[in-house]
Amino acid sequence: MDLKFDSIEGDSTQYRLMMITFASFAIAGFIATWYVIEHGLWVTGMNNRVPWGLQIVMAVYYIGLSAGSLVISGLYGVFGKLEYKPFARIAVYLATLFLIAGLLSILTDQGRIDRVFVEPFVYFNLQSMFSINPILYIGHILICLLYLWALFYERKKLTSVVATLAFGWAFCVHTGTGAIFGFGARVLYESPLLPASFVAAAMASGTALMILMIVGLFRITKRRLDDELIIWLGRFLAICLLVVVYFMFVENAYRAYVVELRDAAMYYLFGGLHSLFFWVGLIVIGCFIPIFLLFYRKTGKTVRGIVIASALVVFGVLCERYVIVLPGLTHPPELFPGMEITESVLQEGIASYSLSFLEILQALGVFGVIGFLFGWGLKYLKLLPTEARILKHYETTEITSKEK
Amino acid sequence: MKINIGNNKTAVFVAIPILIILILILYGVISNVVAIGSEPPQVLLERPDSKYDKCVRDTEYMRFHHWELLREIRENVVRYGKRGEEDINKCKECHTSRVNFCDQCHNAVSMSPDCFGCHNYP
Amino acid sequence: MDRRDFIKTTGGLILTVGSGTYAFRILSATGVSVSDTDNPLIGKKWGMVIDLTKCRPDCTDCLTACRTENNVSFHGDKRWDNHWIRKVKIEGEVGHTKVEKMVPLLCNHCDNPPCAQVCPVKATYKRDDGIVIVDHHRCIGCRYCMIACPYNARQFNFKNDEDWPNEERPKRSHGVAEACNLCAHRLDVGQMPACVEACQKCGANAILVGDLNDPVSEINRITSTLSVKRIREDLGTEPKVYYLGL
Repeated sequence: MDLKFDSIEGDSTQYRLMMITFASFAIAGFIATWYVIEHGLWVTGMNNRVPWGLQIVMAVYYIGLSAGSLVISGLYGVFGKLEYKPFARIAVYLATLFLIAGLLSILTDQGRIDRVFVEPFVYFNLQSMFSINPILYIGHILICLLYLWALFYERKKLTSVVATLAFGWAFCVHTGTGAIFGFGARVLYESPLLPASFVAAAMASGTALMILMIVGLFRITKRRLDDELIIWLGRFLAICLLVVVYFMFVENAYRAYVVELRDAAMYYLFGGLHSLFFWVGLIVIGCFIPIFLLFYRKTGKTVRGIVIASALVVFGVLCERYVIVLPGLTHPPELFPGMEITESVLQEGIASYSLSFLEILQALGVFGVIGFLFGWGLKYLKLLPTEARILKHYETTEITSKEK
Repeated sequence: MKINIGNNKTAVFVAIPILIILILILYGVISNVVAIGSEPPQVLLERPDSKYDKCVRDTEYMRFHHWELLREIRENVVRYGKRGEEDINKCKECHTSRVNFCDQCHNAVSMSPDCFGCHNYP
Repeated sequence: MDRRDFIKTTGGLILTVGSGTYAFRILSATGVSVSDTDNPLIGKKWGMVIDLTKCRPDCTDCLTACRTENNVSFHGDKRWDNHWIRKVKIEGEVGHTKVEKMVPLLCNHCDNPPCAQVCPVKATYKRDDGIVIVDHHRCIGCRYCMIACPYNARQFNFKNDEDWPNEERPKRSHGVAEACNLCAHRLDVGQMPACVEACQKCGANAILVGDLNDPVSEINRITSTLSVKRIREDLGTEPKVYYLGL
């Protein structure tokens, strides 16, 4: 078998429309960010009680997708599964783009964007997760670019080395991102399990998104794609989801069990709109229905069933990111145990958060930027293989012997 | 070895943004060099205070390095609480007006430092 | 020279110029360091005692004094107002009696400040005399310190305030975090903080600021008694704001 990669033609009306849509998203996001910089962050609806909003949720989500996409490329690079070589390039390219998106989301959320490029690197604070993480993120992007280079130039040895490095690095990136919250002082953030559950949710969302991307791209460009490849990925996704559910259960069971955390747990599970996101978005739509679809014989063995499950997971993990970031903020720190603050010049007690138009525009802008880069990559880089199929046994041995 | 990275248009599409950035950087460098070479703008000394017979540093140093001095004073005050003899507030005693003092040079080299959003200099 | 070489050369040139400028900016931005013997702050440890038995429930003089001294931004909207010192009313039951108190809250200037621990640029830091202070020239506005503070004592400048009551003192631009700095500029020159002066002027005399390292100081005498309390001592942050009668 001789695997060939190619770019798409990119002269259809749909492609042009897609690129124009992404570009207009990006421009809208740019204008929104400009407006926020000019007027101050209050226009996004964030306030002293809820200082983080949608952009942080999106940043965490994108970084998760990035690590998850790397897992798919790792199937070839680390574990040497030749069937998955066709997806390696597109997976690494997406991983790079998603990390860029995560960084853009964090960047547009800062109060003083003009200082972000100098101060954090000059006055590095080793104790701060926010200081360690940019190093991890930038390292991740550089490793991804090296990985992409190795894949494009077909360097076998370099690929396996860089793939292993990238795999380990992605775990570090995830642990770091989870530690931003897990090592924090808020009651609903503080949890040593959070970094680990971040990794699990990242693998689930990344795999699900890659399934959607692969099936979508191969079907639209009419390339050959063997169902077995997707079914195997579906099984992997199901296992990731089980791990996510397990971590969710342990974390919340712990909070509900320990007396001093019980109030917070009740707020988290039954305390408002975010509980709806948790139960309906994450647990039912994001976990239970996909697990059922993936394990049920009639749907788990068809591409259609797996694609539906993946779409639900991609949505469910977004809800998971939301319920990690926001309830921890709206739940107030307890200043006087046993007492209640009834009057104040500031907002005290449980706060509410609502999405604002500008935040959504900013998030769309980041999405537009990476969407545009993705479309550009499809047209000008040889990312997609001509076909992806199950290899016969003799083909595998032939390729392995050729590589040696 | 055959390169398998993309088609020929790739190079062009990579090169164009790089060229734009290069032109911008070159413009920045050249415009600064031109500004340094030209005659410095006149800085007005409005009300010489009899307490001081000269500035804390000589004119040449102040013209090109005053921000280093200011940064040093700033670090001393903010980080170490050393509120000593040299103080930005004392500049105001002789150079009373920002328009005739700070803004003269900053406008000439098109700098807009954000000091005055928070610090009062009439 | 073919096109490939041209791209390589221009790319190399851009990288060199770009990283050179960047490196120059980084190197020229590093701060000054002061030796221990030259540092006037070493040896002191500022602390505060608030006597709730003397504090008048309806008096807000310290809030006004703080605002006018430090130009703290105020817009009339609870969501974006900043208060370096604020008063809250707490209600609860101790035993079977209902308790109701007005408590002034401010930055506790912790000995183990979580806000300084998480600041990615060391803009928030503990000065050598124990005051936790924000360097607004350096803050990038990530708001991680607000998440980390267990006392809800830090605020963010979400919008600019046009008022400038005390022109001697700087304002803050929008996009930086802030908290009480115990009027470090006044303590450095031997004056008491604005809230302390205001409290003396109104006659209540409920706030006291002093050096905890000085064994004969008034504040040391009060804090060594058993009746002082600090907010959430169980967190291990070691606050330096003590309350009498909490």
